[in-house]
Parts: sequence; C-alpha cells; structure tokens
Amino acid sequence: MSGRRRSRAIATPLTLPQIRWLGAMLIAAQLPQAPHLPLWIATFGITLVALRLWLARRDVTMRNGALARIPSWTLVLFALAAAWFVRVSYGGHLIGRDPSVAFLFILVGIKFLESRTRRDGTLLVCLASFLLITPFLSNQSPFAALVVLPAILLLGGTLDALGRDVAHGAPWRRTLTRIGAMLLQGVPLAAMLFLLFPRLATPLWGLPQDYSAQSGLSDTMAPGMISELSLSDSVAFRVDFDGPPPPPSQRYWRGPVLTRFDGRVWSGLPQRGQGELAPEQPGEYRYTVTLEPSFKPWLFALELPTRLPQLEMSVDDDPRGAYVMLTPDRQLITRASVSQVTRYTQVSALSDHFPAASAIDVRLAMLPARGNPRTRELARSMRERYPDDRDYIAAVLAMFHDEAFVYTLTPPLLPSDPVDMFLFDERRGFCEHFASAFTVLLRDAGIPARVVTGYQGGEINPRGGYMIVRQSDAHAWSEAYVGGEWRRYDPTAAVAPSRIERGMASALPDGEPVPRFARLGDGWLKNLQLTLDSMNHAWRRNIVGFNHARQHELWRDLDITVANAPWVMAIAALAIGGWGAALLAVMAWRRRQGERAIALWQAACARLAAAGLPRLPWEGPLDYAQRASARWPQFAIAFTAIAESYAALRYGRAAERPDEHDALVATLARAVDVLPAAGSLRASVT
Amino acid sequence: MIDVPGTSNVIASASPYSLRAYLARQRQRIFRHAPHDDRPVVLRHSRIYILPTRRGLALIGTLLVMLLASLNYGLSLGFVVTFALTGLVAAALLHTFRNLAGIEVKPLGAGETFAGGRLAFALALDGGIVAREAIDLGASDGESIRVDVPAGAVRTLSIERDAPARGRLALGRVTLSSDFPLGLWRGWAYIHFPLAGVVFPAPEIGAPPLPAGMAGPDAYAAGRSDDADLAGLREFQHGDPLSRVAWKAVARGAGWYSKQFEGSGGGGPVALEWSALPSTLSAEARLSRLAAWVLAAEHAARAFALSIPGTALPPSQGRDHRRAALTALALYER
Repeated sequence: MSGRRRSRAIATPLTLPQIRWLGAMLIAAQLPQAPHLPLWIATFGITLVALRLWLARRDVTMRNGALARIPSWTLVLFALAAAWFVRVSYGGHLIGRDPSVAFLFILVGIKFLESRTRRDGTLLVCLASFLLITPFLSNQSPFAALVVLPAILLLGGTLDALGRDVAHGAPWRRTLTRIGAMLLQGVPLAAMLFLLFPRLATPLWGLPQDYSAQSGLSDTMAPGMISELSLSDSVAFRVDFDGPPPPPSQRYWRGPVLTRFDGRVWSGLPQRGQGELAPEQPGEYRYTVTLEPSFKPWLFALELPTRLPQLEMSVDDDPRGAYVMLTPDRQLITRASVSQVTRYTQVSALSDHFPAASAIDVRLAMLPARGNPRTRELARSMRERYPDDRDYIAAVLAMFHDEAFVYTLTPPLLPSDPVDMFLFDERRGFCEHFASAFTVLLRDAGIPARVVTGYQGGEINPRGGYMIVRQSDAHAWSEAYVGGEWRRYDPTAAVAPSRIERGMASALPDGEPVPRFARLGDGWLKNLQLTLDSMNHAWRRNIVGFNHARQHELWRDLDITVANAPWVMAIAALAIGGWGAALLAVMAWRRRQGERAIALWQAACARLAAAGLPRLPWEGPLDYAQRASARWPQFAIAFTAIAESYAALRYGRAAERPDEHDALVATLARAVDVLPAAGSLRASVT
Repeated sequence: MIDVPGTSNVIASASPYSLRAYLARQRQRIFRHAPHDDRPVVLRHSRIYILPTRRGLALIGTLLVMLLASLNYGLSLGFVVTFALTGLVAAALLHTFRNLAGIEVKPLGAGETFAGGRLAFALALDGGIVAREAIDLGASDGESIRVDVPAGAVRTLSIERDAPARGRLALGRVTLSSDFPLGLWRGWAYIHFPLAGVVFPAPEIGAPPLPAGMAGPDAYAAGRSDDADLAGLREFQHGDPLSRVAWKAVARGAGWYSKQFEGSGGGGPVALEWSALPSTLSAEARLSRLAAWVLAAEHAARAFALSIPGTALPPSQGRDHRRAALTALALYER
C-alpha cells in the first residue's frame, strides 16, 4: 500500500475549497510582513494571491469545476517582474536578507498561481510557515506576535483541508476550532522547547545588514541631525535601577564621541587600545539596560562607567574574545552592532570629569584651516581677555547664557560656515548647535575639546518603576581638557537650564513641534501610554529578550549543566512522554464521558422496561420518549430531557465542543435522577 | 469463514525458547505475515505504527529551517512560532494515534466469484464511542477504500481482490491506515485474518449443451423449460431453488411456497462426469466446461450429479448443491 497509492493521492488536483484555504492562509501570512516591504512589492505579492482566488472562482462557474492552468510563460514574466521590483526597491541588491524576504513574499503568490496539485499545496504551506517568522526580523512587538496568530490557525486549517478527499470539505468554523484546540494542546510542549532549546551566543552566519536607516545616534553629527531625531517617540533603551535613579540633571548617557570636525560635520575617530575605567567608589549606580536594536555598536552608560557592561550574551561564550570594550575616549562599544534587543548590567559612578590619558591627541585641538572666520576672531579676542582656560570657558558659557540665544527644535538651515552663522546671525539652535559652537570656540582658543553625543534625561515609568529613555532625549554636549583632566560642559544647560532638569518639552518655547509623547502632559492618555510601555518592557525582558544568557540564567537556577545533560535529556524526554500521556488521557476521559451518556440512557431504558414499557428495537430515543410521556405524562419533561440530550450527544455535533458536551451529560444525569424507580412508575400509571 | 489450510504454524511448532522462534515471533508481531488473528482485533498501541508522511517530512524540514533562522537572528518570536507549530505537529501525531486506537475490526466472511472476477471480503469496523475519520483499508495488492465511522456506529465494508485463478484466495494481510487529521502523520496497523474465499473455475464460454438426463423422473422438483406452465404452489422445502420461491406470497406474509411447474422438460438428473469429457481437453478446460454445465443445470432448474476424481456429489439441486459443486471444481487438486 503503497507508495504508489499515496503518491497518487499527493498528485490529486486541488479542489476549490482547498484553493480557498490556501489563499486565505497565504494572505494571512503575507499581511504581517507587508508593512515592512516597499508598497509596490506588498501590493504585487498580495494581488497575485487574490488573482488566483478570483480565477479559481471564475473557473468553477465557467468551466464546470475544472481549474484552469496558468500558462507557464506568464509565470516566468511574473518572476522576472518580481526580481526587477526587488532589485529596484533594494538599491540594486538581489542577494541579502531583506531582498530575499521580499522575493519570497512574491514567490508564494507566483507559486500559488500555478498550483494545481496537493503537492503544490504542501509546498505553499511550507513557504507560508517560513514567511510567518520574517516580520520578526523587523519587529518583535506583542502586536507583531498577535497578527501571526490567524495565519497559524489558517495554516493548520489548510493542512486539514489538504488531507480531505471530499470536494465540499468540513465547515471552516469547526476546522479552525479543532486546530485551535490542537495548538493549545501543543502549548506545554512549545513552552518547554522555548525554555530549553539551546540558543546561540553568536550568530551562525553574517549578521543582518540594515538597508533601512534606523533612527538613532551615529558616529557623525551635522547641524539638524539631533533635532530631527528628537522628534521621534521611539524608545532608545529602558533602564532598571537597583536603587533609586540619579537626579535628572545627572542623567548623562554617554554615547558616540566625536573628535574630527570639517567645518560643518563632526565625526568619530577610529579608536585603538583600551580606555581606563573610572575607579570604583561608594555611591555607585547599578542598573540594567535593555537596549533596542540600533544596528550600531554603542552601548550607553551613565557617565562614568566603573566596570565593563555585563552583557547577557556572556563574554566568555564568545570565541572571538572580548565582546565589549571601552575605547580610550571612553565609548562603550560592542564588537558586533546591536542587532537585537540587548540587555546588560552596568555600574557607573556619577562624575563629570575624569583624568586624561598620558598623551593628548593633537587632533583634539585641530580645526579646518578655513571657514568660520568670525568665530575664530571672537575666540582670539576673548582669549586675550581670559588667558586662563577655566576663565575662558566660563566666559563662553556666560556668553551663551547672557546673549539672546534661543533653544529651539526648528533651527534655521545654516548653508555655509554654520558656526559663524549660528553664533552671529541666527542664534537659534538645538543642542548640537550649541555643543558644536562651544567646542569650536574652545579649539580656536587652543583648548583640546570634543563633542559627546548620547542621551540626557529619561522618564521614570511609575508602572514597573523603570526608566524610559527615548530618541527624543538625544543630546550633545562637550568635553574639554582642562587642568589635566577631561571635564564635561553642557552649553545647552547655559541657554535652557530646564532642558537638563525637566526635559526638552519644558525647555522649548510654546508652539514648537515636540514629540507627541512629550506633549501628553499628565492626563489619562499619558497613563495609558506608560502602562502600555511597561507591558512592552516586560515583553522585551521576558519574551523577546529571552536569549542565550537569560536561558543560561534559567538553566543555572534549574541546575542544568553540561555535566548532567544526560539527566536533563532524560527528564525532558519524560516530560514529553508525560505530555503525550496526559493528552491521550484527557481524550480517553472524554470518551468515557461519552460512554457515560450511553450508560445513563441504558439505565433509563431498563427502568422503563421494568415498568412495563420496553423500547422497541427500531424505536429512536425521541419516539420512545413520546410513548413514555403518553403513559406517564407527569414525567414528560424528564423523558424529553433524557431523549433530547441523549440524541444530541450521540447523533449531534455537540459532542465535539467540550463545554456543551459536559452540560449535556449533566442534563442527562439529572433527568435520569428525576425518574422514579420502576416499581413506583408501574404503580403510577393512570 | 474458511480456514486457510497449509499455512505452517511456525510459532506453535518450534520450541518457544529458541532464538529462531523468538525472532519469528517478533517478525510476526511486527509484520503479521501469518494469518493468526483468529478473533476480532482491537487496535492497540502495540499494533499501531506511525511515521511522518511526505507532507509531514516537508513541514518538519521547514520547521528546522525556521529554527535555524530564529537561532541565527536571535528571533525569540521566531522560536515561539516555530515551537507553536511543532506543538501542533506533535498534537497531530497523538490525534492520528487516537483516531486509530481502539477500533475493533471483525472478519465477517468471504464471498465467492469465478476466476477472472473479483472476490469480496467483508469486514466490520467498530469505532466505539469515538468518531473515526478517513480510515483507509486495503489488502496487500488491492486498492484501499476510505471510510468514516461515526461515533457509536459500526461500518461494514468489503475489500475486493482480483481473483485470476480458481482455488482458494486468502484475504491476506490487511493494512488499516489513516493520516487524519492533518495529513502529517500516517498511522497504520496490520491485521491478518485467516479469511479466504473460493474462486470457481471460469465457466467455459460457448460450452456444448447439457448432456442428457439420467433415466427416471426428477425426484426433487419438476423440470422446467421455457414453455413450462405454472402448475401450482407447494410448501417450501429446504433445498428448493430460491428462484422458485413464490416471493409474492412471502411478502404478503402468507408463508413460504415454491412454485411448481409442469411442462415438457422431463428427464432425470443430469450426470456431469469428468470421465465422460473428451480426453483431448486439459484438466482446466474440463473444469471450465463442468462449471458452465453446473450453471446451465442450475439455470434450467435441473438436478445434477457431479463426479470428478476425488469427489462425487449425488444428484441434487439448489444453491447449496451448486456451491458444493463449484467448490469441488475450484479445489480440484488444489
């Protein structure tokens, strides 16, 4: 039996219900991915599936049930068009993660168009399964998890439909209910696999390339870049403090350090060697950062870290050596960029100064030979008045504070000599303008200085008691080498002190476009947002962030080690066996419940027979109940209840819905209880 | 049900403790090569095998690829989806098992046919209280048939096998299988009932007319020819051909009667003798001709006697007699 027979079964043509199931499944699998694709590709892929559904319907009405075959040359055309779409949309790339996903998205539509046999149907189910996990490459939010649920259900339903011979198939509602039940039955196994299946500390092959620009800080800073970033509500990272959080004015999260200046754009210098950690001291802050994927190497820490971050991707598991390092200019960077939600514990001592390395890089005081002449002139004249470095810096800060500088999110464009135009003409700017101008003024005076970018501030979410740092908290400040040490100066604080104390929204003039979140105030909407964010944080921490390191923590708690691996395997095998046994036991229990219905019915029949009214061999329960009701009208209600519930249990569909089934058995049992014994029945014939 | 003779009972004859006997027992337990299922079989876990179908293998392969992708990109939700589908696949395994477990298969009997026809074997499937869906049943060479057995119902079904030559035809090993519910797993069980039917020799086409009857009147029933007239009814006697039963009377509830004819037929019982056939005919050709004559005699409602080497049937008529004669022909030297 037949490989022959079975292979024939797979080559059986698809029926119309099967095509509909396949179409519904494919669209459900495509929809979660669609928002992450260029509009053209999303539309094209879904249209192909819809086209096939329409064709199948037309075929059934026009060709007596036979399904048309799509000419293969059109398929080649479609495939070429798809390749062209993808190439154009991804800047000439056809190889790589994102173009591949886009191509798969269209491919399922093309394959569906030419699908005629069940074998094709199987292939489509497999492709759709894979398509289900692709949206998670871009987004692992709870919502993203929610929207794949219908697709999973439909996938099971399609498998069910593919296995059926009959042309009409089973009612879809029942099929989906059953698939849902089976999925629920599989949940214990799935949960166990999720917790115990080993994760990787480092990827097997190349990390994802990002074709879409991620918003976040980078290693360059041009005028306007941070103010643009500040309009974004998206979360940069969340922080759980072991103790109370530091005061707002001390929340400087150090990120990229920018040293090189070309007259307009600040950029980082390649770093060699290791920086020195700040000495440990009492009153340190200990906290855990949950960093959103930034596709950049920076890890953020409060100034100044006294230890290297303890990544949950533990360092000792990385064969390539240290995973995290501190550069000489005290940036914390990872070897690979942060491509997934990353958690690390960090210790910092709050300080705005630290001793410099033995030799100061000459590039720290370099400026382009030309450009920004008025700034240069101003620096020279001020330097004449303040020969002492500290006095000079104080004078520059005082200038920012006293003169009519405006802190604004909508700074004017500065086409040429941006520092000059900012300092002398426009005088309106965001933190990057102040930091840039301040640093240039210091360098013009011969004081080594650099721009530090990062985040300043952070909001405590009272639900969950953690801190949210958003892109809108992005900030730029300066660092100057004064008196043998590096010291932080924040010119923005001189212009708009409330920015540092209470956040950007409070520092901006009225009417400025601020991020939606900052505008919410303290109303219920803000509360709702914070509640949602705390749920999101828990999700990130426990589901999305369940990585190699978290798993090892769990294993450590459960005392799972390499040494007792055989035991663990044995226990896991036992657990799987136990799961199967439990499931079969539940099914057997249901069966006994069904048998209980028969036993009750037979008891009732026996009692009536003893009372002189045996059931005729061909008599159905309802007819029998009618006859019994005629003889004993006072028990008519009980007879009807017995017959109806028994008939529903044995011949109805109710037996398949557990709750209804149990209710019917209970009704039957109660009704049989009501019936008097045979003797009193016989006596009570009227 | 007819027992199949000649199947050596390995298990009973060998010493039960030898390794050979042990291996033979295990082989029988696994493959059920010998027809030792004497009683109705209830499918239990020891008899049910389950392996993934091609579709199942394809999906499991896809799940592995999804696992690899989730591992590499650190997609926690990828793991969630992959493992949820794994749970579904595993639950489907249990449902496939449950769909088969507890089915009771009863052998009902074997039919009869002429060589070149198809022999039907009747089995009953009792699903018990659980609804059984999409159960495939098939003999080792035949096509399988698919049945659903609703909860509490018993389904009777017949499996047909090609019957190319006369003799006994055993049902052989029956495979009962199902890939319900998702087509990812195929569960099957082998059942080997000692069920066999008789394949009669194919009647010769264009056989010569019946030989003349023996002297004397037909003792059993009046002969009948096409121009015979209905003479009346008499009480039904065991052995009267069913074609002569007065069915209208039975339907009225008046009792069982046989129609009596009166006509020019005449002649005593026909003697169908192997030895009387031309010696040029081969054994099979003789059997074919005798089979054709048995049918002709039956059609003409004439009693006949049959004698072939090893078997001699006294003159008689009726269904049982016809079957006995055809069976004797079928089993000649078999």
